[in-house]
Amino acid sequence: MIREGNWGPPISMGAPCLASETWESTTLDQPRCHPERSEGSAFCAPSGCRFDLRKIALFLPLVLSAFAAPAQSPLADSPTRSILHGAAVEYLFPEQITVLASKPSPVALHFRIAPGFHINSHTPKEDYLIPTTFSVPEDSNVRLESASYPNGADFTLPLDPSTKLSVYTGEFTIQAHIVAQRGNHLVQASLHYQACDKNACMPPKTITVPIDVIGK
Amino acid sequence: MKRNTIVLSVVLVLLAAFAWAGWANWESRKQAAEKRLAMVAKAELVANSSGDVPKFASPLVNNPAPDFALEDLNGKKVSLASYRGKAVLINFWATWCGPCKIETPWLVELRNQYASKGFEILGVSLDDLDPDDKKMLAEEKRDIAKFAAQEHMQYPVLIDGGSIDKPYGGLDALPTSYFVDRNGKVVAAQLGLTSKDDIEGNIRKALSE
Repeated sequence: MIREGNWGPPISMGAPCLASETWESTTLDQPRCHPERSEGSAFCAPSGCRFDLRKIALFLPLVLSAFAAPAQSPLADSPTRSILHGAAVEYLFPEQITVLASKPSPVALHFRIAPGFHINSHTPKEDYLIPTTFSVPEDSNVRLESASYPNGADFTLPLDPSTKLSVYTGEFTIQAHIVAQRGNHLVQASLHYQACDKNACMPPKTITVPIDVIGK
Repeated sequence: MKRNTIVLSVVLVLLAAFAWAGWANWESRKQAAEKRLAMVAKAELVANSSGDVPKFASPLVNNPAPDFALEDLNGKKVSLASYRGKAVLINFWATWCGPCKIETPWLVELRNQYASKGFEILGVSLDDLDPDDKKMLAEEKRDIAKFAAQEHMQYPVLIDGGSIDKPYGGLDALPTSYFVDRNGKVVAAQLGLTSKDDIEGNIRKALSE
């Protein structure tokens, strides 16, 4: 086996044979180690070596995956990074709830805001700020009876300490009361919010809040 | 043995073909991504040499500012081209943007300071509009006008900025400003709240001072 300089460990193709064995394969289905043809190699001697086609078949996807991976994101290793793409708020849980059919039932909806960002609370201090609101489509078999929002925390921007904002940061929970008809309903509810960090604001956004509601 | 050699050769040829196809695909996608990135003038934040606050890098810098014609609050069409010969600050803002509200007084002061040298600001609002709902549209315009009056924005305030966001990099965050020189070339860009000094420095660059 050739090793020069700091090329690292030798590449082995498949499970090694014992020290006194080399691979021999007569058919695709019957590979085996041959105890009498040892050349001191852990895998394949330069002379008299036969290739295990099944090993090659196993090896092939690995090689292909090495080429496939970078094709998915050609600019992934770019030193630059995109700004503020995607959603600043993520819906956490519950994914599924079971409630009594036709009765108002409480459900606590948990959300997480990306680190460094804040969103306006449901009751911002200024008219021009966009409140956080949760809604359920009217044409679904689930109705939003009421939603109770947490109080916002006071927040000031470093360059404007005189203006207090009412915001959510980190994780927050909306206590909703829903009324579901009997049956299994996949509800695509929504959370509308507008996020900022201390220097810039993202446009208002609506994320989908998918909940599997089972009315019994 | 002969059969194995043939099979091995075929496998190697296949491997080489897949490797070439993978490389060609990656190269093609990379070029397409770079081209797309350049076409939409996608803005990026890049870490500066000191490694603290990222610096805004826009491919529009050193290129002609994309032209546009938008309505002002009185319904009059205002085009960027009509300001050729002046240095222009295109400031994208919205009523819901707190940092925009902080920098607006700086812009008003700087406009007053440099107007006599041939400088103007175009304040482009990115507030959503409902063109199909006349009552709602009138209300939205009224809100923008009220905000502009409160903030003493005596420069042209243009609406429906969302219609020109693509050539200006998508405008993922506000405030975003582009500084255009007298020949219509973008000489600097800023994303987010920086400082009055930074803005003034870029205005002077646009004025070639």
